[in-house]
Amino acid sequence: MTIVRTEKLSKVYNADTVPVHALNNVCIEIDEGEFTALRGPSGSGKTTLLNMIGGLDKPTEGKVFINGEEISKMKDSQRIDFRLRNIGFVFQHYNLIPVFTAAENVAFIMMLQGRDKREIQERTNKLLDQVGLGDRKDARPAQLSGGQQQRVAVARALASEPRFILADEPTANLDTKAAMNLLDIMEKMNREQSITFVFSTHDQRVIDRARRVITMVDGAIDQDEIQDPDNTQAG
Amino acid sequence: MMTFLKLAWRNIWRNKRRTMITISAIVFAVLAAIVMQSMNRGSYEVMIDRMVSFSTGYLQVQDYRYDSEASLDNAFHYDDALREKVLGADPRITIVVPRLETFMLAANDVSTRGAIVFGVKPEKEQDFNQIGNYLAEGRFVEANEQAVVMGKGLADRLQLGVGDTLALIGQGRFGMSASGLFEITGLIEHPIHDMNNSAVFLPLGTAQELLSAEGHITGLLISVQQARQTDAVARSLRSTLEDSELVVFTWPELMPELLELMEMDLAVPRLLTVVLYVVIGLGFFGTVLTMTMERLREFGVLLSVGMKRGSLSLVLLIETLIISVMAVTSGIVLSWVLLKLVDPITLSGDAAQAVIDMGFDPIIPMSFAPDQFFIQGLYVFLIALLVFLFPLIKVLRLNILEAARS
Repeated sequence: MTIVRTEKLSKVYNADTVPVHALNNVCIEIDEGEFTALRGPSGSGKTTLLNMIGGLDKPTEGKVFINGEEISKMKDSQRIDFRLRNIGFVFQHYNLIPVFTAAENVAFIMMLQGRDKREIQERTNKLLDQVGLGDRKDARPAQLSGGQQQRVAVARALASEPRFILADEPTANLDTKAAMNLLDIMEKMNREQSITFVFSTHDQRVIDRARRVITMVDGAIDQDEIQDPDNTQAG
Repeated sequence: MMTFLKLAWRNIWRNKRRTMITISAIVFAVLAAIVMQSMNRGSYEVMIDRMVSFSTGYLQVQDYRYDSEASLDNAFHYDDALREKVLGADPRITIVVPRLETFMLAANDVSTRGAIVFGVKPEKEQDFNQIGNYLAEGRFVEANEQAVVMGKGLADRLQLGVGDTLALIGQGRFGMSASGLFEITGLIEHPIHDMNNSAVFLPLGTAQELLSAEGHITGLLISVQQARQTDAVARSLRSTLEDSELVVFTWPELMPELLELMEMDLAVPRLLTVVLYVVIGLGFFGTVLTMTMERLREFGVLLSVGMKRGSLSLVLLIETLIISVMAVTSGIVLSWVLLKLVDPITLSGDAAQAVIDMGFDPIIPMSFAPDQFFIQGLYVFLIALLVFLFPLIKVLRLNILEAARS
């Protein structure tokens, strides 16, 4: 089942002065359960594409459909609500709320969804256990390592039970051990719970673990390949 | 909502020192404004209380012609029926005090002085303003007695004392000649300086007989339960007396010059308060501006993950309100304690003598009127709302991607 579909997606920045074509007629489809990496050099448009898919930005031309709904024509307030219920985000710099504990960061998203207090507590505990931080629930972000913070960010992204998770350079600030640990967790969730992950990344470690790799050059899709991550890793 | 409160509370303590400095500045402004106002109002409250008690009453009923021509010819008939009618006009009326007032010459055997002569009902007057408590010598006059009590200042000028005889010479109602000799039963150290130097009190019946004004008075002074009820009671009374030739005045209507003087006197402290709040408001704005600008990236993330702009604005409003509520509450409590500690400030030396010469006690009493405390809270609340406009506009216009890159 297709979760993400873009139709002739284009984005032009500074259209009135010096136009920068960040995306050119990008058409992709991402199915449920994919573990996809968007790669490409800086300025290739992978983050722009991720922002379009995540409803954080509007295309200059073209359409974005999430689960059949055209997110690109929604109003700002509709897109915020749509994101809350359908999309999970993991950022390069973790971006946790510094005054909240790990558990509160995870619970906050569910609180915004208006969920029941007991359900929030149970799900928060479960998610933090899944990312291996069951014993650091009460720690604030400043008391956690980068890898731990990013794992909390993954738990937060999963808290709303989204259709898919967008991760922008999730391992860029992590050492190898923490990066591999994070990838293990995300891969396990993808495999066992069919959670769809889409990464933008430069990181070969992520690319090696992805089952689909989309290569972008100059705002367009250059390559779209399916790979066997087991063979890639072994190789 | 509890999560928003928790988030706001923790946010304001991210930088404890900055928040404490901001709160301290507002506390200082509230404290200074309240103390300044309390000192002024305390003095004015005493002044007004004395003027109301000894001169005008909170309300006064007069003949409609008396205000433009304060003459005995414009006195009005007063009896039990009118008294009952006035008392029945509003349950908040506590006391009605009839007075017959005129100017006469007060004389000893060699010299004369101008005097304000009051015909009063001694027991009513005592209930109304406890004038007997100001007796310096002797006793107060009794009903229908052919005797007077006079201000000590006037007595001293005429070199008269208790037991001496005072001659009153003047004009009665409708041009009748009025003169008489009265024994002085007591001397009053009147709290109003001018009255001390000019007032003579006679029993009402004696004064009416002297002035050919039997059954008449020039003013009916009225006291109410609380000063703030004055206008409401005036409306009731006017309605009750609308078919008569009697009119009702409130104390501000009877002494507009005093109020104007006070308003002018209050202009400087008010201006200082405005300046104080402008300075503090700018400081407050600086804090909120910094708290907003340093978190733009965080705001972008919160909006990315699905927090509504309205909810984020609410959190920022709560932050602003928490700071202002803490500051105002502390300011009010501190100022109340401070006022309690210093109330009243006792003057000494030349300053005390200057105040005594003006006819007042050498003290600066503090006012504890509740509105002066609440009004500061209102001002700070309004400043907080004004300051909040910045983060509100910032959040409503925030571009998520630009914020995330900041």
